[in-house]
Amino acid sequence: MPEENKGEYIQLETGYEFPPKSFNLDAEAVSVYQKAVEDSSSLYHDTNLVPPLAVATFAMKILAEGLALLPGAIHVSQEFEFIDSVSVSEKLTSYAKVGRTRSRGGLHLMDVDLSVLNPDHKTVLTGKTSFVLPEQGGKR
Amino acid sequence: MTDLSMYRMSQLSVGMNLPEVRKEITQPKINLYAEASQDFNPIHIDEDFARKTAAGGTIAHGMLVLSYVSQMMTNVFGRSWMAGGRLNVRFKTPARPGDTVTVNGKIDRLDRQEERTLVMCEVICSNQNSETIITGEARVEVKNDENID
Repeated sequence: MPEENKGEYIQLETGYEFPPKSFNLDAEAVSVYQKAVEDSSSLYHDTNLVPPLAVATFAMKILAEGLALLPGAIHVSQEFEFIDSVSVSEKLTSYAKVGRTRSRGGLHLMDVDLSVLNPDHKTVLTGKTSFVLPEQGGKR
Repeated sequence: MTDLSMYRMSQLSVGMNLPEVRKEITQPKINLYAEASQDFNPIHIDEDFARKTAAGGTIAHGMLVLSYVSQMMTNVFGRSWMAGGRLNVRFKTPARPGDTVTVNGKIDRLDRQEERTLVMCEVICSNQNSETIITGEARVEVKNDENID
């Protein structure tokens, strides 16, 4: 997404929905991920399954692509529920929505709710990401 | 598959420690994770930039360290974790290049029901100085009287 089209976080209100993003976890992307996190579990080799945190990571790209977070943004907490397993090459769609936002002590706190659906429109993962962001300089 | 995946539900008990996961954090590993995740925030990969921030240097992605927690849970609970696991964590301190991160887990509670048991675990990631990087809870629902995976 072009930088100018990104949502400025300070302007995003509860309920704002990021544009959904479809992605395909192909074998190469999963392999790069597993190498990066040093996950050599035979479970994945034997079954063609994708590590659940890989699904979460790729789904969260929607945030990076749709939200102009300042480099000073701090990821403070994370929730995930892994509802169903995902296989390599499965096409998934990620949805993200701004949850609670609040300002406190010069900081802006924002929750983003995430859900990932498979081609059968079944939810395979849900999550909530919480950021703390500097209140000043929301625009860049 | 680890040895623990051969455990049966009935062998799990409150207070049981999960087998730890230990990883060395290096800048090349952080850079590789940035590629894999497409998260190129300069706080992770640009040492000159990061040195001028409050972090004082580059830090690992929180999701990289969180992946080690998920690895520990997958090692123990296998597919039950992949389809039925829940994580709820807070990031307390960043992991930095040169750190050794150790993930520990302990079974906190077992809620046994007729066919399934909800296993609640306390999880913690710490560095070589015993500073907490991540703390939180992991839950997984597993079938009774079957091998965990």
